[in-house]
Amino acid sequence: MPKFPSVEWFDAIRQLVNNDEAYKRLGTFDSRVGVKVGDQLYELTFEAFDCTGAREIGEHDLRDLDFWLEQSPEDWREMLQVIKQHGGADLHHTLNTIDLTLPEGFARSHDGYRRDAFYRFNQSLQHFFDSSAKIDTEFAVGASA
Amino acid sequence: MADEPATVEIPAQLAQAAKVAGWPEDLLVEALKRGGQPADLIRFMSMGVTADQAREFIAQQGEGGAAGPPAPQLDLAWMKVPTEWGTRAKPTKHGLTIEALNIGKYGDVPDVWEHQTELPRGAVPILGVEGMGYSIYEKQELWADNAGALYEEAIQRRWRPATDVPWDTLEPLPDDLERAICQICTHLSEKAQLEADIIAGWEPQLSYGYHEVKLYLATAVFEGARHAELFRKRALSNGGGLGIQSPGWSFRSVTDARNFTEFVSVQMVLQDTFTMVQYQYGEKYAKNLAESLMFRLAMQDTARHIAYGLAHMKYVLLHRPDRRQEIERYLDKGEALLVADDRDSATREAFAIYFSGSKEKIGEGLQIYEEMRRRQVKQYLERLNWATIDRAERLFPALRAYAELPEAAAG
Repeated sequence: MPKFPSVEWFDAIRQLVNNDEAYKRLGTFDSRVGVKVGDQLYELTFEAFDCTGAREIGEHDLRDLDFWLEQSPEDWREMLQVIKQHGGADLHHTLNTIDLTLPEGFARSHDGYRRDAFYRFNQSLQHFFDSSAKIDTEFAVGASA
Repeated sequence: MADEPATVEIPAQLAQAAKVAGWPEDLLVEALKRGGQPADLIRFMSMGVTADQAREFIAQQGEGGAAGPPAPQLDLAWMKVPTEWGTRAKPTKHGLTIEALNIGKYGDVPDVWEHQTELPRGAVPILGVEGMGYSIYEKQELWADNAGALYEEAIQRRWRPATDVPWDTLEPLPDDLERAICQICTHLSEKAQLEADIIAGWEPQLSYGYHEVKLYLATAVFEGARHAELFRKRALSNGGGLGIQSPGWSFRSVTDARNFTEFVSVQMVLQDTFTMVQYQYGEKYAKNLAESLMFRLAMQDTARHIAYGLAHMKYVLLHRPDRRQEIERYLDKGEALLVADDRDSATREAFAIYFSGSKEKIGEGLQIYEEMRRRQVKQYLERLNWATIDRAERLFPALRAYAELPEAAAG
């Protein structure tokens, strides 16, 4: 059972979406997206119709990304558990809703233009995380906030 | 006395061209007798058709008369078109994209397009084709480096309001909520149709040399139509109806733009930023999956409009820094008229009820509306910064107030 967050977990989701016609029908998605869970950072690369890579990165890599998604480990857990329970995000846990709820925002970037990729490709990114409903996730014990 | 054959007069210009091209006089006479036009013959010569080739074409013509009507006169000069040949654009991971076609001369995007016709970039012009009368033929007036990529993205990311929105998830809402969302949708539908109309009006003004921009804007017209359709459908699908039309003060800044960059700055940077935040809040406070997805999909399209608007603005400022104050003035006007629309109490109150959930809690909703306004201003300023415009000090006073307030919950 892949542990969140981990490259293994993201690779499991990648495998799902890369073989998902519904994901491909959403259209091309080109972005380098970060996921920050406490002190742990990951980069997801989306190119054309696939998620082509997932790797662990450091803080200094954030500047190279279009944007990253950052919330507390507890909030990540809650989001993914809701997705698992409902087969997708409910109305209160969509990526956009979380972005509006968090004081510092969920989608962050060093570049106001590149950050807009969060909006341009929002449905594809939502589909990516919603796909986690198809796997069982173990949450990393003691993921630091 | 036998009839003498009619003499054929060879125009001086044709004779001169023939002398250069090596066409003998008897060939000219033959071609003219067969109905060839001097201008066409000159063109063939300029395209390199030799005398032998011309004789061969003529020999392939039927004699007519007792043998039947003459065969149609063939003109194969187009096969010797002097354009760049041997081009093989290759598909990428994204398919065969419009940008993949920019090979060699086909990728030369000139600073000034010198043709007034429908001439495709890289094709051979014909003298005498009537002009289109368009008014924009300088690259800096319309260009954005991302136009080709945005076009492909728009085509790839199309969606269908009729079938992609889960309309069956709509359930009856309390009367005040249904009226609120219907009023919001009336406003958004009207605004979207306007954007489509105005972009469509500018399209014929844009010269054909910048097809990446023309193609992208065609998708933006389509998206405006899609949003007009989308929100009208929501208003008329759950027991409600349409509401009051918008007073439309902010629309005037768009319809009255005299300059394409003015239109883009006001519509695709200012207005679309504010609209996209409305979609963000609409998604957050959606009452059902249909409304959630409706706002989310519309948000995607509008984010692309903003991407083009910002990239165009930045291109202008980098290549024509003397236009900076001009653009600031466009934003002055646009912001003033946008604020005038705050007098539209119908839309503001409708949003407030939608956010709070009921007419009774409209006070809470108005606070959320103010929060939304702060986010609109914040995102607008951040985007302008990327385009090298620091607008904070010059922002219209009624908007500057929102920029100075402390961050709200969804800053």
